[in-house]
Amino acid sequence: MADPSLRLELLMDYAQRLPELPEQYHPLRDAGLNMVHECQAPVFLVVDVEEGKVRIHADVPREAPTARGFTSILIESFNGADPAEVQAAPVDGLHALGLDTLLGMQRTRGLSAIYRRVQEEVARKAAA
Amino acid sequence: MSTEWVANHLDDTQNIRIIESDEDILLYEMGHIPNAVKIDWVTDLQDQIVRDYVGKDRFAQLCSERGIGNDTTVVFYGDKNNWWACYAFWVFKLFGHEKCLIMDGGRKKWEAEGRPLVREKPEFPQTNYQAKDPDPSIRAFRDEVYEFMKRGGQLIDVRSPAEFTGEKLHMPEYPQEGALRGGHIPGARNVPWARAVDEDGTFKNREELEHIYLEEKQLRPDDEVIAYCRIGERSSHTWFVLKYLLGFDQVKNYDGSWTEWGNLVGAPIEKGPEQPPA
Repeated sequence: MADPSLRLELLMDYAQRLPELPEQYHPLRDAGLNMVHECQAPVFLVVDVEEGKVRIHADVPREAPTARGFTSILIESFNGADPAEVQAAPVDGLHALGLDTLLGMQRTRGLSAIYRRVQEEVARKAAA
Repeated sequence: MSTEWVANHLDDTQNIRIIESDEDILLYEMGHIPNAVKIDWVTDLQDQIVRDYVGKDRFAQLCSERGIGNDTTVVFYGDKNNWWACYAFWVFKLFGHEKCLIMDGGRKKWEAEGRPLVREKPEFPQTNYQAKDPDPSIRAFRDEVYEFMKRGGQLIDVRSPAEFTGEKLHMPEYPQEGALRGGHIPGARNVPWARAVDEDGTFKNREELEHIYLEEKQLRPDDEVIAYCRIGERSSHTWFVLKYLLGFDQVKNYDGSWTEWGNLVGAPIEKGPEQPPA
């Protein structure tokens, strides 16, 4: 396992790479819809399946870089993927990334909710 | 202490150590007050196996590595209205550190004032810190809380009203943190912790605080008070307010809090709104 400060740096890189939320989603975000309520930070998440591919759009405030970083990892990993790949990803994704030991139990729980939401929405949209 | 005071003492690293303590584990790395060191509430202050704080030796090592001596004045600040800064402050007091301060307004105010944030991590000469045994006068354990409740002691529950009444098991927007029962310790009064801060993140002034805690909630400053929340973090904020801003004599933090009480077999629980003091 890489040393903790290195993993923090990686997470920070991801936090800085989170794409801007397309303007079409701003009204939804500003209305407080599509929020992941289990997470400490106000995370706005839209998960769609378009032409058989997963599309994720998200917005997380800069004051919450950890949630930003993790959301950004999810976007880079899953955008454009087949729904089946997302569903096949391990349920304990944070553990697989070694983030749980880095963050501690409470923070991990909040972030797991983002991950769970992505998997649930993909399953729902792919079935629709 | 004000942000201005801190800004004027950034270079006094011989005598002063500025410590950032945040809920978010990355904020310090993204930019912090020049010469500030980081202490994380999970990875630095909590034991990773037993549900407890680190021991005295580990605490001493933590301070020594950051160049904190027994005489150093430590100034805490952080995100979320200094919630975690107060938590770290409490742990320092637990191990007997004398000179502890909070930067009023925390990260939010420092940033709002356009003051500098840097990424460079400072290094200070290692010290040989000597930690004291944990101070039992600021920490309450469950058996003591039970006895205290039975004799009608002043308990203050600083969670949100919905958690207090038992409608919810966790804070709005926060993760479920495993309690099997909802409600509060019988006889507790409810003052959500954030009532002690203003919009800009600074503590309310003494008069306003007295109005909330002394008049509205009828707390007696000469008698013992035990504060609790869900895991003992929000209550360390109220603990700070009562002890250092209002001068209460004996205030303890029950860090087992609701995640302990709400899971204890047979522990008495009251649901619904606050009951008038007996």
